[in-house]
Amino acid sequence: MFTLPKTRFHFSGDEFIVAEISREMNAESNFKALAITNEVRNRNIPGVIEVYPANASYLVRYDPDVVSPYDLLDYLKDIDITKSDIGQLNFQSKMIEVPVWYDDPVSAEFSRRFSDRNPKDAADVTDFEYTMQLNGYRDKERFIEAHSKYPHLVTMLGFNPGLTWSYPLGPAKEEVIHALKYASPRTDTPKGALGIGGVFSVIYPLSSPGSYQLIGASAVPVYDQKQQLSDFKSSIILVRPGDLWKFKSVDEKEFVAIKKQVEEKSYRYKVKEVAFSAEDYVRSGRSYIENMMEGF
Amino acid sequence: MFNIIKPGLKTTIQDNGRYGFYHLGVPPSGAADKFSYRIGNILLGNPLDSAALEMTLLGPVIEVEKSTVISVTGAPARVLLNQKEIPMWETVKVVEGDLLEFSYHSSKAGVYTYLCVSGGFSLPEVLGSRSAYLLSDFEGYLGRRLAAGDEVAVSEPLPGAFKRAGISLPDMHIPAFSNHVNVRAVMGLTSDLITDEGVTGCLNSEWTTQMESDRVALRMKGAIVPSEEFPPPFGSGGGFASVVDMAYPIGAILVPNEEEIIVLLNDATSGGGFISLGTVISMDLDLIAQARPLTTIRFHAVTIDQALVARRERKKKLALISEMLG
Repeated sequence: MFTLPKTRFHFSGDEFIVAEISREMNAESNFKALAITNEVRNRNIPGVIEVYPANASYLVRYDPDVVSPYDLLDYLKDIDITKSDIGQLNFQSKMIEVPVWYDDPVSAEFSRRFSDRNPKDAADVTDFEYTMQLNGYRDKERFIEAHSKYPHLVTMLGFNPGLTWSYPLGPAKEEVIHALKYASPRTDTPKGALGIGGVFSVIYPLSSPGSYQLIGASAVPVYDQKQQLSDFKSSIILVRPGDLWKFKSVDEKEFVAIKKQVEEKSYRYKVKEVAFSAEDYVRSGRSYIENMMEGF
Repeated sequence: MFNIIKPGLKTTIQDNGRYGFYHLGVPPSGAADKFSYRIGNILLGNPLDSAALEMTLLGPVIEVEKSTVISVTGAPARVLLNQKEIPMWETVKVVEGDLLEFSYHSSKAGVYTYLCVSGGFSLPEVLGSRSAYLLSDFEGYLGRRLAAGDEVAVSEPLPGAFKRAGISLPDMHIPAFSNHVNVRAVMGLTSDLITDEGVTGCLNSEWTTQMESDRVALRMKGAIVPSEEFPPPFGSGGGFASVVDMAYPIGAILVPNEEEIIVLLNDATSGGGFISLGTVISMDLDLIAQARPLTTIRFHAVTIDQALVARRERKKKLALISEMLG
């Protein structure tokens, strides 16, 4: 039977408990973080203020005047046990298409502007080329294909409002595209940039500092505080942990056309509802994902 | 209305904070020094989460357009009402046409000063709070610092407000603002990835706060924090002592490199992959937020039980002050 490692719990200050499900990233730890945090949220525990699923861990903020830290810790440990069986970790998800212009000129310009902060050796290499070479690719199209072929599981939100971490489902561990982070963060990142750091792909919702390698630009927003597009009617964010997004490579012309639809507020995202079986994913991996992708 | 004639260095609207959205990356924000902010509202008999102006080092010049009662608390500032100095930690009546000016205080300690007003500053909430968060695109005054020409609405004075003018906080309860600060932290989180020498070195060293500190984080230097030689966990991306990106507690003591530590404050970036020595207890975030650049900081390790005792003491003190000021 598949079993997850034992979770490490930490009291952090007087108001936080952080639970590390695993130190290494894997999809199963994220499924578990999602299942536990959903359960904690649904139980509406008095004194619990924030419930925050992260990539392979989660955080709970509480008011110790209302709930004892020790009682809450025991309670979380009990929930942890009930969610250690992969059969308990299925979830409802949606897959959303995100059109991306890979190796776009704005990302290239930012790569050059902040190249002194990047661990890469040559200043004239863009973040895209650097990440492509680090992963052993020489052909641009094959690298784009490798990054955009599989859906990415949304594993965590945060850093700043609406930023989304995502992790590819399907490739074997050694095939997962990875990148080094900047040694010192950029002071600026273009809004909508697609970045990679570690094994995670993110889209920057707003101009902000950042330390991920910039490899492309999303044509569509992932965060809309003013809720102007109809797909944002119920939420300021496009996706939640447990959702999937599928990057689709577009060229400059398509990128501009989609941008125009977004500006006119007529853009609709391509979406598919998915009942995600963590059990089937652990058992069948890539073939389960390929089946899910059919017709999308 | 309170009209902003000059905005000062960085003046924002803050309340008790924004909760329930951290998992989306929206930090709590809220007054950086909760104790001073809370006293400001207690003095006025306000609901404890009433919105106040938070002024940074050099305060604004404000024209009063509504007669009401105010209080000024927090970092020492020189406060002039129609060019005449008025006390801090005391309720003061102001009338239409008055001019309030905030300027540097000779004590040269502390960063944030609070201006509270009877009933609070009144503007629409964003995600359940009236706290500005400058790295957001929130509407109006909650997405930016105040600027000259801004008109900030104030509530109608509360019933009995004018009778409260002249109430003051006894001196013994006024917090000390200093350029040498002791803060307590619960050690742990990913500190097992730092060498034992690194952890004790951090506790035995004096840290000096750096210029680029703000409401997001306080940065400091002063000691070397060596990390254990560990293979980077799969997914972390490698680099100096990085872990798989996780959610950060407010108050987390992050180690981005061997020579620097960062303490996250109320406008924190909610997650990332730096290893962390531990977390500053909530009461002492006030002290650390009020630390000016070049302040020296000492960390003291406490257990969760000691942190809870400190929390109860703070609660008792606030209850006592509330009762005393009626």
